[in-house]
Amino acid sequence: MKGLHVIGVSHAYGDTQVLNSVSMMIPAGELVCLLGPSGSGKTTLLRLAAGLERLQHGQILINDQVVADAHMHVPPEGRGIGLMFQDYALFPHLSIIENVTFGLFGQPKDKARRHAMEMLDQVGMTAHAENHPHMLSGGQQQRVALARALAPEPNLLLLDEPFSGLDTNMRGQIREETQSVLKASGVATVMVTHDPEEAMFMADWIKILGNNGSILQSGRPHEIYYHPQHEFVAKLFGLMNRFVGVVKDGYVEIPIGKVGAKGMDDGRRVEVLVRPEGVLLESNGANGAPLDVVSTHLLGHDNIVRVRLTADNVAPEERNLYVRIHHTFEPELSKRITADVEADYAFIFPLDGAGDVAEASYASTPQPEAAK
Amino acid sequence: MVELTPSFLMDYESLDKEHQALADIVNLVVEAIDGDDAGKCKTLLPEFVKAAKRHFANEEALLVKIGYPNVKKHQKHHRSLNTKMDHMIEFANMAGENQLARDSLRRELVFFLMDDIITTDMDFKAFIEEKAKTGEA
Ligand SMILES: Nc1ncnc2c1ncn2[C@@H]1O[C@H](COP(=O)(O)OP(=O)(O)O)[C@@H](O)[C@H]1O
Ligand SMILES: [Fe+2]
Ligand SMILES: [Fe+2]
Ligand SMILES: [Mg+2]
Repeated sequence: MKGLHVIGVSHAYGDTQVLNSVSMMIPAGELVCLLGPSGSGKTTLLRLAAGLERLQHGQILINDQVVADAHMHVPPEGRGIGLMFQDYALFPHLSIIENVTFGLFGQPKDKARRHAMEMLDQVGMTAHAENHPHMLSGGQQQRVALARALAPEPNLLLLDEPFSGLDTNMRGQIREETQSVLKASGVATVMVTHDPEEAMFMADWIKILGNNGSILQSGRPHEIYYHPQHEFVAKLFGLMNRFVGVVKDGYVEIPIGKVGAKGMDDGRRVEVLVRPEGVLLESNGANGAPLDVVSTHLLGHDNIVRVRLTADNVAPEERNLYVRIHHTFEPELSKRITADVEADYAFIFPLDGAGDVAEASYASTPQPEAAK
Repeated sequence: MVELTPSFLMDYESLDKEHQALADIVNLVVEAIDGDDAGKCKTLLPEFVKAAKRHFANEEALLVKIGYPNVKKHQKHHRSLNTKMDHMIEFANMAGENQLARDSLRRELVFFLMDDIITTDMDFKAFIEEKAKTGEA
């Protein structure tokens, strides 16, 4: 099936194991973000797919063609890929149009030039065709790099932190433009980033690469955010409020309310992680945990509010919470403020057995005759 | 459309058959969506989920039988797919009326089969091959 198929790829530099049996299928036309912390092996995986690094273990196919396994290594130029790497800059001594035609060496000159101009048109850069890279802004260079990567009509596009060199203002716009150009091109794209927000914005599908060099979870951005299956994945998206509790009658009680623990045995010790937007504040509320507001920090659209729970029976390490709330919130110091938990933003992980998931059951009807 | 080209085959008959049966349902869903007949998804998805769960149970029984050392991990992986199946049922129920539900369902289903289900199974392909040689699988 068309796309990128990675099967059981492991990689080590010397004694350091970087990738640990990574497998994935990225169908043609999909934009997948590989999200993981710095050092988790993202660049290594892209370099292996591109053929810039020799595969040590596993198999890689592009559009059903084996490009690397134990016996063979198709060089990068034979893989039909487009690359946009962090350190893969434009050629400074070539003009913009020459940069874009560079990968079209098989074609007659005027045809290549016409095609390159079309590509520059797609990214809104035709006016700069005869300029040299140093005359362009970072964002403009990025657009040209995208045109250059797409010009040979690759089977697969590999982007390594493509926006990390741009300042914040520029980044949003270039992200959006890049996304629409990629959608229009219909090419299978793997984009690597360590920035969760960037992955959420760009991707139809996110894969999380953990520190152990294996894929921890994949799914729609919504699914990754609201149904993280590992503590590691839940914590990727920033601040978290952490509580420890024990499952009782299908619930865990934490200082700001009760959270359902579907599929977990009574008596199991668990960790409850609550996103800052999962702590709801109420003025003069009858229920909820009483608190003091410690400080507020305006972050554009939202406020991050630091609060301290005041009830006597709250453990010291569970007293201080982060709350995300609409920017119009102003704590009214005269009023009693309380906090409640919003279950959608609360995640439960067993404390014994790391990386465990709730073992919700399905009708299991093992059939001994499964073997042929 | 999904297609089980060679890199998606386990080279083990019963598993490949069941994967193919799942692929057939996925393709019916894709056809229904493309053919302006997305209302059908409402009945196709429960069928898919049922077949997927039966497949997981069969596969786990096989792995236990042949003594695959990482069987617990793979069982856990299968269980972790429950949320996705719940969501796909929801998308399928809305697919008749809603473009976003159709797009999400199609994407999710293709990734689900080709990536979550089959590609992850490749972890034990070599183990089954070894066992088959000695007649244990
Ligand atoms: N050529 C190399 N030689 C030795 N170690 C390397 C090499 N390239 C990367 N590493 C190490 O491998 C790990 C993963 O690197 P990398 O793939 O660049 O991660 P990421 O892109 O996720 O930040 C890091 O610890 C890095 O220091
Ligand atoms: Fe399977
Ligand atoms: Fe499986
Ligand atoms: Mg990197």
